[in-house]
Amino acid sequence: MTMRIPILKLKDYLLVSIQWELDDQTALQFQEDLLTKIHETSARGVVIDITSIDFIDSFIAKVLGDVIGMSRLMGAKVVITGIQPAVAITLIELGIQLDDVMTALDLEKGLEKLQQELGD
Amino acid sequence: MEIQSCVTILNEWDIVAARQLGRNVAKELGFGTVDQARITTAISELARNIYLYAGQGQLCIERLHEQSKTGLRIIALDKGPGIADIRKVMEDGFSTSGGLGAGLPGVRRLMDDFKIDSNPGEGTDIRAIKWLR
Amino acid sequence: MRNQIISHINERKSELINEWVNQVKMETDERIVNIISEDLFIQTSKEFVDLILLSLSDSNNSEYSTKLELFSEKVVRLGWPITFVVAGLRIFVHIVFQSLVKEEVIDKQLEGDYLEMLDQWMAPLSNEIIHTYASTWEKTVSLQKIALQELSAPLIPIVEHISVMPLVGTIDTERARQIMENLLEGVVRHRAEVVLIDITGVPVVDTMVAHHIIQAAEAVRLVGARCMLVGIRPEIAQTIVNLGINLNKFITTSTLRKGMERALEMTNRKIVELE
Repeated sequence: MTMRIPILKLKDYLLVSIQWELDDQTALQFQEDLLTKIHETSARGVVIDITSIDFIDSFIAKVLGDVIGMSRLMGAKVVITGIQPAVAITLIELGIQLDDVMTALDLEKGLEKLQQELGD
Repeated sequence: MEIQSCVTILNEWDIVAARQLGRNVAKELGFGTVDQARITTAISELARNIYLYAGQGQLCIERLHEQSKTGLRIIALDKGPGIADIRKVMEDGFSTSGGLGAGLPGVRRLMDDFKIDSNPGEGTDIRAIKWLR
Repeated sequence: MRNQIISHINERKSELINEWVNQVKMETDERIVNIISEDLFIQTSKEFVDLILLSLSDSNNSEYSTKLELFSEKVVRLGWPITFVVAGLRIFVHIVFQSLVKEEVIDKQLEGDYLEMLDQWMAPLSNEIIHTYASTWEKTVSLQKIALQELSAPLIPIVEHISVMPLVGTIDTERARQIMENLLEGVVRHRAEVVLIDITGVPVVDTMVAHHIIQAAEAVRLVGARCMLVGIRPEIAQTIVNLGINLNKFITTSTLRKGMERALEMTNRKIVELE
């Protein structure tokens, strides 16, 4: 029983809002779904909003980091939005940097950032 | 005074159950959102270690009430292969599973107190405490 | 034995007090004696002797215990150092004993018994005083801790999208956590795009402090804002480089003003003078 995270298309972008706690299978399934969707739509940018996520452990961080790297290989830039203060602090304390990940405060700012980056 | 609740870790879903248990207890004891995230994350790391390396084990949450202090203890127990070189796994960036290698040293940073006891072939016993500030 | 001592002290009250005051002055640090006014000193000493007499006549008296409490509180409030008060107690026992011996009130053979008895009277008294001191200190320490937390670090929204966090004083691990939480929650609440951390008021930036600041800046980036380190004084710049701390990932400026200009630039704005 795996829940699937909906991936929406908006012009050249894909929008993802993760609304519930990620278990390992859902996270891996999401990785696959997103890459397939990027391939199908030739999207150039992705916004993943995680406002509702209240913690990220090293596994989920790795899945997220990986999917961002994979998307980049396929020509899509990813912005993560809505990382909660508590999540940011635990990530840093865990020692996870997510160095080359683009971030923004919320969905709206995330889209703005993508537009800037892609020169739209 | 100590009250203990445990989750048996057998599959990936049990990791979610352990997190849920820890989050609820942390909330109930009055931990703030940041400490709740620290505790939940630490539990997730420890439960996943059991699942990945030992196959099965137990993750227990204990409420601690000592004199003027209140706290939460995470106990992760397994009878798996154990850890040969504890110093090595406590180094940042060391990983045998291809993960980020943040696991145990990360948990130590998230919690206030961290103890690990492990012998090859006998299993691993990890105890970590977070005190309510 | 008890009554003997009581009447002895009662009869020679002022004499004993004078002797006591003189000896305390001789034995303790001059600086302490100088800040304590003579009148207050003598008056407190008198009160103390009355208290001792009361305790001698009836040690189970509830009047005695409330008076003892009040007296201890008073001494603490006066701010006399505890070493001074304890020394005073010891000297008093000594003087009373000496005078008892001198006036031949007690038998040579019973000297030891008398000394022990005096000691036993003094014990609850000094215990209560020390206890009052200790609890006052504990209270002060915990109050100061709270005060310190309150002054920890406010995040001030200056203009839209730009906030400043001025840091003042020494930063330890506990405070660093507090600062990080305030910082991140403030960034999200004010929807800040750029945060300036002003370290003008941080006296020492060592590896640990730098580490905390770097962590805070990284966390700020994760929630989707940018962090700038401002108020870097020359000596701080020197220590940072000498310690080999790498701050290359950040934008840093020497003053808050320069930082402000940069922050406006980053958010596509500038300050113009009106004609």
